[in-house]
Amino acid sequence: MSLHKIWLVLKREYLTRVKSKSFIIITALTPLAFVAFMGIIVFISISETEVEKRIGILDETDVLVERLVELNETRYFDVSDREIEELRDEVMAGELDGYIVLSDSVIEHSKSPTLVHGGSGGLSFLSAVRSDLREAVREERLTRQNVSDEIRDIFDTRTGLEAIKLTEEGESEDNTVFASALGFVLGLLIFFGIFFYGALLMRSVIEEKTNRVLEVIASSVKPIELMFGKLFGVLSIALTQFGIWILFYTGLSIAAAPIAAMIVDAQMDSLPEEAASEAFDPAMLDNLVIEPAIFIYFLLFFFLGFLIYSALFAAIGAAVDNEQDTQQFMPIVGLPIFIAYFLNTKVMQAPDSSLSIFVSIFPLTSPINMISRIASTSVPAWQIIVSILLMILTFFGIMWLAARIYRVGILMYGKKPSFKDLAKWIRQ
Amino acid sequence: MAVINVNGISKSFGKTQAVNDVSFEVQKGRIFGLLGPNGAGKTTTIRMINYILTPDTGSILINGLEASPETQKMIGYMPEERGLYKKMKVFDQLMYLTQLKGMNSHDAKKAINYWLDRFDATDWKKKEISELSKGMSQKIQFIATIAHDPDIYIFDEPFSGLDPINSETLKEIIIELRDNGKTILFSTHRMEQVEQMCDDICLFNNGKAVLSGNLREIKASFGENTINLEFDGDGSFLDKLENVRINNRSTNFAEIRVLDDQNMQDILKLAMDHAEIHKFERIQPSLTDIFISTVGEDNIKKEEIQ
Repeated sequence: MSLHKIWLVLKREYLTRVKSKSFIIITALTPLAFVAFMGIIVFISISETEVEKRIGILDETDVLVERLVELNETRYFDVSDREIEELRDEVMAGELDGYIVLSDSVIEHSKSPTLVHGGSGGLSFLSAVRSDLREAVREERLTRQNVSDEIRDIFDTRTGLEAIKLTEEGESEDNTVFASALGFVLGLLIFFGIFFYGALLMRSVIEEKTNRVLEVIASSVKPIELMFGKLFGVLSIALTQFGIWILFYTGLSIAAAPIAAMIVDAQMDSLPEEAASEAFDPAMLDNLVIEPAIFIYFLLFFFLGFLIYSALFAAIGAAVDNEQDTQQFMPIVGLPIFIAYFLNTKVMQAPDSSLSIFVSIFPLTSPINMISRIASTSVPAWQIIVSILLMILTFFGIMWLAARIYRVGILMYGKKPSFKDLAKWIRQ
Repeated sequence: MAVINVNGISKSFGKTQAVNDVSFEVQKGRIFGLLGPNGAGKTTTIRMINYILTPDTGSILINGLEASPETQKMIGYMPEERGLYKKMKVFDQLMYLTQLKGMNSHDAKKAINYWLDRFDATDWKKKEISELSKGMSQKIQFIATIAHDPDIYIFDEPFSGLDPINSETLKEIIIELRDNGKTILFSTHRMEQVEQMCDDICLFNNGKAVLSGNLREIKASFGENTINLEFDGDGSFLDKLENVRINNRSTNFAEIRVLDDQNMQDILKLAMDHAEIHKFERIQPSLTDIFISTVGEDNIKKEEIQ
């Protein structure tokens, strides 16, 4: 194999893409889209999502309605002096969102009252009404039993859970939620990365066939050199792009806390003080600083995953003439990678389960699932090493197969090969 | 000295035997034509010479060396399925292809500039191929084939798809290269092109080389056994002739190949009885006829060699 020729192919592949407009646009827009996405999430999490509904309370107990109005004066109001028929008409006409008839048996026999409403509430609305009712009824019953304040306090207790992670360096603040989310996002990025750049490589191979330039190239370079050159060319493009994005993220995570604090400050004015402090704590953003080791693992697993899958993509590109014909072969690449993607949710929920361990070591799924585990739990070193070794072996196996398909496929024009043809090419 | 030495090569794809025990030699400084109908094995043979395919058996020597990446550099190859990167600038593209053939960037630049200038194409340097007309990109394709200054030039069906002007240009280039001591091998299924240009030929049919050697000697060995006849009048007398093959026939013209030693004057007499004769000429057979004679009329589909 001639390294010089591989280098020439790599250089062409890299430079023609990097100089193209679409590369610059995608590189610039992706982080902007990401920031916009994060911004929307932050915005949603701190803004009031519920539309206020008005519920009439027809109270036969004379006590509950006061408690409910005290809990939420915009939602509940007293309609005890009106007729049910009248309320029904108002609900039908849409003037009233709903009404509840409360009888004594609700307090005394814990009977569930009925909410009659227009049917446009949503689950969170129903559960909010339910918990308001529970609280009102409980308070009333406690009052009737003359319960002391100490016991009331017991009912008001909300025990939380603080988690601390024990590591070699000592105790550190636990950030399981963020770590799991990060693991999932990184797995997702690898999934998209493999698909996006793999497809880029496949199109690049097909392009050489449709342009009919391939045979000229084949009279100068060995197929395997061409394949390595193109593969590492596309990989360099991917790494350039990821490099830019990681720099961008690092810059962003330094700037994130002050910016988010600004947004929150602006929002706080429009919110009751209490709700605001519960909704968002700018200090949380300190957790968003990602350990550099994770980025290194991310790049390593992306690198290996890309090699494995792009060898397959390149072989498919070599086997066909045009992009339409790739359809029948796509399940070979699509199936394992989609399985890995779907299992990633399971991995996130239980990163140490035996399923998670298996899929994080199995070479076709490990690029996605292992990075999720690494980010969200402490993975034993042997598992990481085994998964890396298996991926390297798989890469050489697939590369060998792909090179054989490539060698024959690049000279085949005009006819769509079947799986049987491919098997024949490999044996040839 | 033989520049290309093909020794008993065979190549099969699955059950199809594409090339079957083919041998021939191409001498330095000559134009060598590979002839035969489509599917006769010409392209497969050419790909093996270019080390794109390897023969199942037999050997190929280029300048005395076994075909290898090293010998690829000695050859400029223009395949039948040819093209360029549509989205790449002319100059970058030529640099890439020329460097892949082993030329360093300094020499490549010089050679490319020289050829771009020769073809009045210097203005296109910064253009993408997709912006060029078909004729223009064909010129760029020639440059891509010859810029690394190889000893050997191989063109597979070079004239198919070329416009008439570029066809002429290519013929001139081929002759010029030969005059500079380079060796040219090209394949075609159009016999008349060979007659105009080739020094030596090799005839292919069904994967076998059925005849090879010096074109003039081959033709001479068949003798002046063919009649070119131009006439005015009823041509139906031609059907009465026995033991002849009429290769080319129209309302007032016929190329008659005489298959036995019958007296050609008898044919002239018969013709004079039926039509007014404008021209009667004894000539050497055409290559098409030599091809038919060699492989036998029953072994070919006639339309394939027209």
